[in-house]
Amino acid sequence: MGIGDIWNLIAMQPMINTLIVLTHYLFNNFGLTIIVLTLIVNGIIFPLTLRQIRASKAMQDLQPKIAELQKKYGKDKEKIAREQMKLFKESGVSPAGCLLPLVVQMPIWIALYQSIMRVLAVIPENLVGLSGFLYSWPIVYSTLPLNNEFLWLNLARGDIFLALLVGGTMWVQQKMVMSPTVDPKQQTQSTMMLWMMPIFFAYLTLSFPSGLALFWVTSNVVRIGMQYFIGGWGGLVKSEPKKPTGRDKKYKERIAKVEEFPKLEEFPEGDADIVVPDSTQEEGSSYEESGDKRHDGGGGYTKSLRATKRQPKRGRGHRRKRG
Amino acid sequence: MRIRNNNVPAGKFVLLVALLLVGLTVLGCIGVKSTPEGGSGGTIADGAIFLAPTIKQSGGFGCTSPAVDGKLVALSAADGTRFWEIPLEGSRSGGGFGCQSSATPAAIYGSPAVSGELVYIGGYNGKIYAINAASGSLRWVYPREGNLQPVIGGVTIALDRVYFGDADGKVYALDAATGDKQWEFTIGDKIWATPAVSGDRLYIGSFDKKLYALSAIDGTKQWEFVVEGAIVSTPLVYNDMVYIGSFDRYFYALDAASGDLKWEFLAERWFWTKAVAYNNTIYAGCFDGKVYALGAENGEELAALDLESPVYSWPVLVEGSVFVATEEGKIYAIDTVANQETLLADIEEAIYAPLSAEGGVIYIYSQKQNLHALNAASGASLWSLTIK
Repeated sequence: MGIGDIWNLIAMQPMINTLIVLTHYLFNNFGLTIIVLTLIVNGIIFPLTLRQIRASKAMQDLQPKIAELQKKYGKDKEKIAREQMKLFKESGVSPAGCLLPLVVQMPIWIALYQSIMRVLAVIPENLVGLSGFLYSWPIVYSTLPLNNEFLWLNLARGDIFLALLVGGTMWVQQKMVMSPTVDPKQQTQSTMMLWMMPIFFAYLTLSFPSGLALFWVTSNVVRIGMQYFIGGWGGLVKSEPKKPTGRDKKYKERIAKVEEFPKLEEFPEGDADIVVPDSTQEEGSSYEESGDKRHDGGGGYTKSLRATKRQPKRGRGHRRKRG
Repeated sequence: MRIRNNNVPAGKFVLLVALLLVGLTVLGCIGVKSTPEGGSGGTIADGAIFLAPTIKQSGGFGCTSPAVDGKLVALSAADGTRFWEIPLEGSRSGGGFGCQSSATPAAIYGSPAVSGELVYIGGYNGKIYAINAASGSLRWVYPREGNLQPVIGGVTIALDRVYFGDADGKVYALDAATGDKQWEFTIGDKIWATPAVSGDRLYIGSFDKKLYALSAIDGTKQWEFVVEGAIVSTPLVYNDMVYIGSFDRYFYALDAASGDLKWEFLAERWFWTKAVAYNNTIYAGCFDGKVYALGAENGEELAALDLESPVYSWPVLVEGSVFVATEEGKIYAIDTVANQETLLADIEEAIYAPLSAEGGVIYIYSQKQNLHALNAASGASLWSLTIK
């Protein structure tokens, strides 16, 4: 049994037969089935999605610190990477937390995508191929072929309105997760990101059956809802972010602890290579709370923030040189 | 000043695009097609084979201007020498942004029908063509302006008329000489089947899970028979009975005059192909990989010949033997006396197109665009040509 056969057995066959049976019970309405199944799949992978969104948001909140590290260590990428890992560890944020749920979700989305394409079966070649995926349930045989009409749509053909909806909902979703920036370069990058993806997907949507677009729109709307639940409207409106709850709060608190450390620009001006803030003891207590008991001599976070160049005085109290 | 960095979102963009491309690649790898390729079986008349080859898409995914033009070719049945070919234009004016969904290829699924001096053929582009069999010149096309919905089943010639159904659920009768419409009958759901005409009655199945009997003269409905699944196979009319298989896995025998059910037989999967009859036995190929030999009168299962691969293409009867091709490319000869199969040849290419035969030679057009001529007695390959 090859990989393709295993994939068909564990992913495609269950998904295709579920689609067909659902269609039977949803008044033979395949459009409604796509929406309902997308919601069901979203419900099943909700914990993963939630984890991904939270991790992404936490990662986003750490961006200022990462930027400081990048500014501080310049082109020493190895050092930056090392310090970033420390930062992630201390703040309880895992980069894998962003990617792993996404990677786990991908096969599910691909299976759903392929199933929709197969079940639509608008040409004989597809319908012939579909027959190999069916369970021996009478209900499956009596329901096929499915009706491709839904509202004004022929689900087997592209639709410009749905393409616009895909682009629009994707734009909203992107906008919600984006951070404002004052750096023109970053601003350009953000704008490109904000517009390119929706346009790209809207263009693709025109080339694919609108049944697939319906799936994308539903997914996007669900994602927008989740995003709102976790982080409010984010960059979409200029308002206070939604108060974090539950695990978000935990993330925020841990990040806040990390952010209690002095910022790069707050270090005093001086000639020495190593500058240690005189509030070391206070910061040390922060480490204890976060589970890292190393102090400045231990190569912990404070050490990583030791300035290597002159910094303007910002009146954060007396700081002394070491050594 | 707080410095913000958006490298991660940019990285996400790259990641998402990469994942999308991987997804599309996976999609491409599993062979989900969205454009029709067609590929008819050969029809033999006066020493010539008439065949519409498959249209292989030239582009990748998305809007990459896939091929849309088909063709009809005429070849020598003896050695495959090409007599002529005529291009059949697809429709590129469906709107959209030049994407594949807006192009309607002239893919041909139904085998050509020959009557008198003309060859008739219907295309996915919603056109019916009448072409001079000797010269390959176009006699008429229907409709003259615009297009019908896709014609996936073949055309049937009888009573000086051309009969066919389209994906819009309409059955048409055209004057075979001029292409003028004589009548149409609306069923309401897709028709992929080729109609069968016997006497002055036309039989055709539809996606609406019904088999219809219409007057071939004026298109009035005479009866309908409701089943549990769609019907895409072509009815077989034999000894005043109509035999038809359905997606509900049943094979039905009906009284041709009244539409009353005589018997039914349950298989394991879909029936797609047309059955053949010989010596009071019906041979029905099924997607479960079996050919069922059933008593024509009572549906008694005389044999279930396991060919281990779905039977999609129409079988052909040659001198008391039924020749059947499986999807995986094996051709079997079924002895109608003993009801036993013998492997005749294995061309190792997918076969969807109907088989044809003439003068002890079996002609098979594969999805690899190869036309094979096999000796019906020995299975030896006489010649093989790529037709595209």
